Amino acid sequence: MARAYGIVAPSGGHMKVEGMDEFRPISAFSFLGRYRIIDFPVSSMSNSGIERIQVYVSQNPRSLAEHLGSGRTYNINSKRGKLQLLFNQDSRVNDVYNTDIKAYADNMDVIERMHQPYVIISPGHMIFTQNYGKLLDEHLQSGADVTIMYHKVNDADVAYRNCSVVNLNRQKGVKSIERNTGTVAERNIFMDTYVMSNELFMKLIHKAREISSVYRLVDIINAQNEALDIRGVQHKGYFAAVTDFKSYFDINMGLLDWNMAQELFRDEWPIYTQTTDSCPARYTPDSSVKNSMVANGCIIEGKVENSILGRGVSIRKGAIVRNCIIMGHAIIDEGVHVENQVVDKWGRVTNIKELVTTPDKPGYVRRNDIL
Amino acid sequence: MKQNSMLAMILAGGRGSRLKDLTNKVAKPAVSFGGKYRIIDFPLSNCANSGIDVVGVLTQYESVQLNSYAAAGRNWGLDSRDSGTFILPPREKADEGLKEYRGTADAISENIDFIDNYDPEYILILSGDHIYKMNYSKMLAFHKEHKADATIAVIGVPKKEASRFGIMNTAEDGRIIEFQEKPKQPKSNLASMGIYIFNWKLMRRMLLADMKNENSHHDFGKDFIPTMLKDGKSLYAYKFKGYWKDVGTIDSLWEANMDLLEGGNELDLADPSWRIYTEDAPELPQYIGPEAEVGSAYVTQGCRIEGKVDRCVLFTGTSVGKGAKVTDTVLMPDACVEDGAKVTRALVANGVKIGKGAVVGNAKSEEILLVAEDVPAKE
Repeated sequence: MARAYGIVAPSGGHMKVEGMDEFRPISAFSFLGRYRIIDFPVSSMSNSGIERIQVYVSQNPRSLAEHLGSGRTYNINSKRGKLQLLFNQDSRVNDVYNTDIKAYADNMDVIERMHQPYVIISPGHMIFTQNYGKLLDEHLQSGADVTIMYHKVNDADVAYRNCSVVNLNRQKGVKSIERNTGTVAERNIFMDTYVMSNELFMKLIHKAREISSVYRLVDIINAQNEALDIRGVQHKGYFAAVTDFKSYFDINMGLLDWNMAQELFRDEWPIYTQTTDSCPARYTPDSSVKNSMVANGCIIEGKVENSILGRGVSIRKGAIVRNCIIMGHAIIDEGVHVENQVVDKWGRVTNIKELVTTPDKPGYVRRNDIL
Repeated sequence: MKQNSMLAMILAGGRGSRLKDLTNKVAKPAVSFGGKYRIIDFPLSNCANSGIDVVGVLTQYESVQLNSYAAAGRNWGLDSRDSGTFILPPREKADEGLKEYRGTADAISENIDFIDNYDPEYILILSGDHIYKMNYSKMLAFHKEHKADATIAVIGVPKKEASRFGIMNTAEDGRIIEFQEKPKQPKSNLASMGIYIFNWKLMRRMLLADMKNENSHHDFGKDFIPTMLKDGKSLYAYKFKGYWKDVGTIDSLWEANMDLLEGGNELDLADPSWRIYTEDAPELPQYIGPEAEVGSAYVTQGCRIEGKVDRCVLFTGTSVGKGAKVTDTVLMPDACVEDGAKVTRALVANGVKIGKGAVVGNAKSEEILLVAEDVPAKE
């Protein structure tokens, strides 16, 4: 699709996942054993035929840079296309000045040089698939200045903390975008996804910088609501937003439901990710595994239930793993019982024989930690 | 350009007819192995891990899948500026038209121009049929150390099986004195692995002579090696220790897959220092359902298990339905065992569907059952 280029926006400073983003931005979080959250927006863009993709990183780029590589994994033509990592000029963490607009302004020269007339912006912390070609067609047909996407939910009072909601008029015109106050269950959750012309995008960046140094893209869109024709398009299909540690845990667990997973992973819309060439997983005669997703390279000798095992995880003899996310290369040693835990990469639970919490307050073992 | 002192040529043209229906549409090197691999991944990964940059792949029999597969050099990291995999099927030539490769040596002779492009000092000849991990750079060091004209990799085989192989009789220092092709009375148990290093200048001269020789089968084992010995060239046997299997039959293919169920198996595909690379499938991690029972198993991504599985190897995209029971079985890519079906001691070919409630295979049968066609459901 030569008509548009794609932007994977930096996840806003307000999005904080306790413990985990010390190591990497939300978009680089490992997901469902073998993915990173960024695989979803980038795969959707690639599947939509978008050849130029910019990924904005505001902090800790190592993990994302390593994972995305040249973009070849994502089926992007290596001559015509390009996957670009773009950085803020100064990237203080959790700074109110550190907005998406700031990141775009810092890279204005790159944005100005894009020869595609339209831009599609999607977030790095939400999980869904979307044919952006179709979205652009709808945008062009409606004649709107800006098209945004929303997802209808009926649990906005308990979930989607830190998300925005979209208020629409009957013609699907956007009246306003505001913070989810959590008081109403039925809401249109704003998917932080926009389509507009690159010209308007650049204008909005300049305007936002003129008005306020802390303005985000959503703020300027809201402020321009009278002057611009902004429309909403409803997204259908699987949708989830990683807004905090609990939501990260719940979203992973929810996908252990095969039917739900089928909604997100469809044969005709592959989700690409980096391969590590691990061998298949090996289950020994002592193992027992139920209702779980297991990545390659695992060796399972113990008992695993309702869990997600990343690449190269070892579950030793007599270990019990229940309702857990065990990330790549972690080891759960002999006789250890872990329940409702997220064990980050290369973690090892060996000396503490019981690491059990309740599902409403999942625990976290940091990367490289030995317990 | 980096110096390519040794170039590899993989002989991948054979059908492997003892694999029966498995090789009806693909050549043996393209047959799937070990959950996510194809047989040819082994020599290709060995080349990549041994620091060989240029690999020619000689194909002939049913080569469409194999050609497109092996051409994607990036799967093995053979895609930098000076490296690559090059597919070399028979071609039409100006003065002699199109003719097929007459034998293993002929396949090399017909591609002398390809090899000359790289001006290598040594040529490594490999077979695309075998499962093993080997560092060819160590073999080259041995070849140089002995100032050999040719070096042949050999492996010790049980005496009673020796008559199935090409057997090398060697002097104490490893120099080959005699070569017997499938001898009735073998004098040693050192079998040729079909892995050769030659000095290109000498080999080139000999290939040109062999091409013109009307009495030759143009085969390395039958003609080329015996001629070298007769001419008094110095040939050395390089002893290999480790896992090596020619998965030539359904039984041996099944068995080699089953070897992977053992943690301490010699092939050790989990060794991070010598990975076997393959095409990556954009598939979900393997999904084990709430009612599944998984015993001993080797399972790759994209599999879905909802039934009972024990002593099985499950390849990419396979599924085992609810209430199904699969035992002592290899499910090749995209094979599907539907709800309630029972499969025992079988190798189920690519994409084959075992219908609901169907029963195939027998725990007591001596031979492994090859299931190459869909089995209808049984109510």
